[in-house]
Amino acid sequence: MKKIKIVAGITWAFICLILIIILFPGLNSFSVSAARLPFMKINPNFTGGEVVQQVATEGCTLDIRRPVFDGLFRDRKRGFVQIDWRGNIPDTITDTIDYNLDKIPDFRIIIDRISSRTSLVPLNAKVKDVAVSTSTSYGWALRVGIQK
Amino acid sequence: MDNTLIDSMKKSFGKSLLYTLPMFLITFLFLTGGRPDFSNPASGFAFLITFLGVNVLYFLMHFTGKTDRFRAIIFIIFAVSLSFTLIKNMVEIRSSMSFSQADIVECKIPFCHLVIPMMIIPAAFTKSIIFPGSIIGGFANISSMLVLWLIATLVLGRGFCSWGCFYGGWDDGFSRIRKKPLIKKLSDYWKWMPFAVLLMVALTAALTLIPTYCDWICPFKAVTEFEQVTNVESAAKAGVFISLFGGLVVVLPVLTRRRTQCSFLCPLGAINTISNKVTPFTIKIDKKACNECLKCVEVCPLYALTPEGVKSGNVSVFCSKCGKCVDACSKKAIHYGIKGIPAGTMKNFSRNLFLFVSFLFIAVFSSGSIIFTLTGLFKLIF
Repeated sequence: MKKIKIVAGITWAFICLILIIILFPGLNSFSVSAARLPFMKINPNFTGGEVVQQVATEGCTLDIRRPVFDGLFRDRKRGFVQIDWRGNIPDTITDTIDYNLDKIPDFRIIIDRISSRTSLVPLNAKVKDVAVSTSTSYGWALRVGIQK
Repeated sequence: MDNTLIDSMKKSFGKSLLYTLPMFLITFLFLTGGRPDFSNPASGFAFLITFLGVNVLYFLMHFTGKTDRFRAIIFIIFAVSLSFTLIKNMVEIRSSMSFSQADIVECKIPFCHLVIPMMIIPAAFTKSIIFPGSIIGGFANISSMLVLWLIATLVLGRGFCSWGCFYGGWDDGFSRIRKKPLIKKLSDYWKWMPFAVLLMVALTAALTLIPTYCDWICPFKAVTEFEQVTNVESAAKAGVFISLFGGLVVVLPVLTRRRTQCSFLCPLGAINTISNKVTPFTIKIDKKACNECLKCVEVCPLYALTPEGVKSGNVSVFCSKCGKCVDACSKKAIHYGIKGIPAGTMKNFSRNLFLFVSFLFIAVFSSGSIIFTLTGLFKLIF
């Protein structure tokens, strides 16, 4: 039993030695494999959720993402909807958004990109406030707080 | 000097050189890909200094038989250079040490291993990662950091905290400033605190789906990156980061000569403590050789050794295998070991194998940021 323990210990130690030796040269391929694991995606609370509606105007694209209410076990009562403007965006953005795709406008947004001032006009009682309004590398991102 | 001593030193020198040769070749291969690039003098010189420096440290570990004093050098340099790398990266990209709302929205925040305790429950239930970083590609991506930590913690157990963590060097460094501690006795019950912190941050992160430790507690935000101070909440957070860094990473380590942040706060340390059960490498006490002077208990930076434990020949799972106790033991009763091998036997074999594995990890993991930092410094000076 003592000898088996010694052999098992040394074998495990040598396996660890091999693991460390292959870790760095294989890091890229291990990382790519790990990235394919089912849980390896960023939570929608950070990414803003998937794009469900794309509106193209003169040189500017408007991406409306799905409302995010994601919680640990079930949806939360409060969430947000993210809208991204890309491309040739005017200095003042004025848009009316229908985030729940019921063909009735839910809010009107006015963003002065130069002063970073954002005004929200709720047209639906579920629309609450401006959570984030910021310039990004691709244009402008807006998160509006909403209720389920 | 008598001839026997000179002969033994020559023998030891040759033997140490022989032990260093595989490390020399492997680090050269891993750092250069077999083709060193000296086209840029600053980075070429930085590479040369780093490469030779790490190998000299490894040689000295074998030649002197001491571990901790040489481990600490690379460990502390790693912590400082990593902070420099992160800050320089942030300043170059964003012209600031703080990140903005846009960086969060675009998921551009560098990922570090301290997020891992908070992402486990949400990953299990929501099948997603609650961190605004990049899964693959870009600087400090989630996938690479996860693989690095997973393998390192499997191989080294809590040894990761002394041989791989790029923050641990900060409190390790400050704990070495005074020769003698001003505060000698701190209840070692505090060492269970990281489990409470782990439970708290894991639960709060699961409930809010926000990495709460990073958002509110992490002391190392003070030397890496933090949220832009734009309102009362972000100012309060910055206050917490700076206070915890000052208290647990600077002041208490100086006063106690212990790594207090690692011992009393770090939630990942708690997880690594559990992984100490898996790793093959351990610290062993040869009861026959031990004279119970308890010098090892006195120097242990992580409260892993207790008088009762030493008397019964047990080292607790809190051990990070830094080697401070091994260096301090005048009877060589405490030594690196491999699970299954009885204490007091195959000491050199176990130490050599552990040193090769752990040093290779820190040497390759740290070299990139050390080279980057040295290159930056050379460019600044010349």
